[in-house]
Amino acid sequence: MAAANQDMTRPQNTRAIMTFLREHSPFSSMDDTHLAHFAEHATLRFYADEDVVLSPDEGVVKRFYIVKQGRIRGERHNEKEDRAETTFEISQGECFPLAALIGERPTRTLHRADGDTFCLSIEQKAFITIFSESEPFRDFCLRGVSSLLDQVNQRIQSRAMASIGSSNSLDTPLERYALRNPIVCSPDLPVHKAVARMHENNVGSIIITDDNRHPTGIFTLRDLRTMIAEEKGSLDTPIRQVMTKDPCRLPATADAFEAALLMAEHHFAHLCVVDDEDLLIGVVSERDLFSLQRVDLVNLARTIGTATHLRTLVSLRADVSRLVDSMLAHGADSGQVVKIITTLNDVTVRRVLELNLKKHDPGIPFTWLTFGSEGRQEQTLLTDQDNGILFETPEGMTDQDVRDKLLPFARKVNDELAECGFTLCKGNIMASNPKLCLSDREWDDWFIRFIDASTPQNLVYSSIFLDMRAVFGPTEPLHRLLKKVLERIRKNALFQKMLAGNAFQRKPPLTMFRNFRYLNDEKKHVLDLKRQGLAPFVESIRVFALANGIETANTLERMEQLSKKGVFDAKDANAWKEAYSLIQAIRMRAHQEMLDNGEELTNYIDPDDLNPLDRRILRESFRQAQRLQQKLEVTYQL
Amino acid sequence: MFEHIKQWLAQRRSGVTGDHDPEHLPTPKTVDDQQLSRCRLVVLDLETTGLNSSKDEVIAIGAVAIEGGVIHLNDQFDLILRRPELDIRETVLIHGIGTEALTQGHETEDALLYLLEWMNGDPVLAYHSAFDQKFLEKTLKAQLGYTLPHVWMDVAELLPAFFPHADVKGRGLDHWSDYFRLEVSERHHAAADALVTAELTLVALNKAQKNGVKTLKELVEKLHYQRRLKNMHRY
Repeated sequence: MAAANQDMTRPQNTRAIMTFLREHSPFSSMDDTHLAHFAEHATLRFYADEDVVLSPDEGVVKRFYIVKQGRIRGERHNEKEDRAETTFEISQGECFPLAALIGERPTRTLHRADGDTFCLSIEQKAFITIFSESEPFRDFCLRGVSSLLDQVNQRIQSRAMASIGSSNSLDTPLERYALRNPIVCSPDLPVHKAVARMHENNVGSIIITDDNRHPTGIFTLRDLRTMIAEEKGSLDTPIRQVMTKDPCRLPATADAFEAALLMAEHHFAHLCVVDDEDLLIGVVSERDLFSLQRVDLVNLARTIGTATHLRTLVSLRADVSRLVDSMLAHGADSGQVVKIITTLNDVTVRRVLELNLKKHDPGIPFTWLTFGSEGRQEQTLLTDQDNGILFETPEGMTDQDVRDKLLPFARKVNDELAECGFTLCKGNIMASNPKLCLSDREWDDWFIRFIDASTPQNLVYSSIFLDMRAVFGPTEPLHRLLKKVLERIRKNALFQKMLAGNAFQRKPPLTMFRNFRYLNDEKKHVLDLKRQGLAPFVESIRVFALANGIETANTLERMEQLSKKGVFDAKDANAWKEAYSLIQAIRMRAHQEMLDNGEELTNYIDPDDLNPLDRRILRESFRQAQRLQQKLEVTYQL
Repeated sequence: MFEHIKQWLAQRRSGVTGDHDPEHLPTPKTVDDQQLSRCRLVVLDLETTGLNSSKDEVIAIGAVAIEGGVIHLNDQFDLILRRPELDIRETVLIHGIGTEALTQGHETEDALLYLLEWMNGDPVLAYHSAFDQKFLEKTLKAQLGYTLPHVWMDVAELLPAFFPHADVKGRGLDHWSDYFRLEVSERHHAAADALVTAELTLVALNKAQKNGVKTLKELVEKLHYQRRLKNMHRY
């Protein structure tokens, strides 16, 4: 009551401004006395549409502003095209100009009212008072918007952390781990001597190096076990004959996450850590990475990868969901988590294939393809099957002969994957579909028709079949196929333009007034984060990637490569990667919550359920999608 | 600001009561070539017990000042005078005027004197200002015998003068604040209404500046012309 009484002694308009401030970060975490100081020292200013609010010509910035109503946009002059370009937008509850005010310099960007706008403003003196007295405010000013992003990540992590309780981040570079001095030996050492050396040092692995300390192989206790069990040779054998050649290695700057992912993918327990010149500097083991944590990614991947029965695989799916929780808790970002899910899904798919091959091998080598989100390595917990088969027809057989052999096998695999939680594809985009179990020649013809006849249906399919990856079997046939496909697309400007036009149809869910545009009238206040939020990025990026001969299907990697190739400005690429990841993060958090509540997983969210910070970030992310589409529009003159 | 009132009231109570020579109060300004972008304007709203100025009384006064084209929130006036239907002690406590002052019977008088000092003789704006003007002048005369004329301007006239084509759904304060999508923190709270009126005034002054109306005199003339135009249409 005391606080309420104190509040009542303040004038109505002061209270009203405090209420407004409390709805926005960082004010929401500030003390009332500081908010009151702000409100009592504020001026309220009006700017009509297009009025200049702040300009670089005005000299050192002396005031701090908050948008009370309306919007401010930052303008930068584009020399090349001689026109004003919007560099940022500041909407209700947001502050400006932080960097200039802190740096006691003029602003570098012209701030202009975008529509009729009211701003609250305080003078430097009041700003300094609040800055020096309020920690949340100071923190916000010094770290700017990046602190908002941190807050989001912190929240994602802390929520998942609650169920686990550890703080060691997977972002930690490997060099920060206590790398043990690696136990090494030369290639000619007999196995029994190498094992003796391991025993003396109480380690489970030994690295075989050449004279220059480059790692050439690795030998572990597991290898020893296999060697003895399978009678592969005597203990006098030189170690180079039994070691695993060309061991997996990572630079010391790589982080724990990369190491974990690599281990999970290949089921290793040890990795070599090397410097820039590939000289061995240490070994990192699964136990090193996870000694403080109970994140059992590697173990889980191995359990999946060595499961002997389908029912084991089915039961392990629950562990995958639990792992995602713990990954978020350990600071994995959304890009990392989707990759982990994809990695574990890959391991599952491979294992299902291996188990089936053991039972009834169709006797013909094939490459198992995945399409769409799985092809892009962007799967979340909500996933269905999009797969196909690529084979090379042996001499003396027709394509149809091979297909007849492979289809029953594929049918079984599709069904078993469904049991593991990969929903059967409603559109029958599955390997058991005769139209998607094709020889290399047939696939090539298929793509020629696909590219030449740009029917609307084909354009819909582009998001599936142009994001393709090999999960099992030889990868070389797919690589050859992709090279041809990319070359055809590169040469076919019309197809590119059709793709671009199609991608352009998928507008980010923002209205002209930068409010959220909802799905439809029935689903008021509902956004589809996948179709409305992520798809505009995925589709636009695909066009640029295909047009520039980029083979990878992963959206973030495509952006990375487009930036390297100079197709995207590095800053733009970063902003887009960040925006895309944030939408993905919000989507995954929603999935995790639905799972906790035992609800069916959907991609729908109501932005009103988000806190103001997430809402703001979501809106800004959608705006980045609009900018990306503008680039598409300009490039292809849509 | 309330510190000021309290201090001032304390001074008043500590002896020198009744020493209010209206001539020591700031002299009301006249309409001149004051630059609108620089001068101080008072935007005021009254809450009354009813609409009849001969019978009803002022309950609350809320006002904010515009100076240099900007609303200064450290320069505002927010006072409830008397609310017969409420427990007077509580009402008064909220607004920092002690019961002591009340029992001495100075509260309205003191508050009005403070208002006059605070207004500093600057031009007054209100929404449907004739109403507020009538009530305030009546109260000032009855309580203080104060009859000096102040410059009054009607924001309800100001807005259509500068936004003649605005598609407003009516002529009330709510209609214009809806039109400009303004939010009133608490409708029919004098201070909150004064603030939203002041916000509308900022919008109008911004437009005035762009239309070349730069001085107080030009503004008053514009309103005058507007009124004549309206009357011509009427007859």
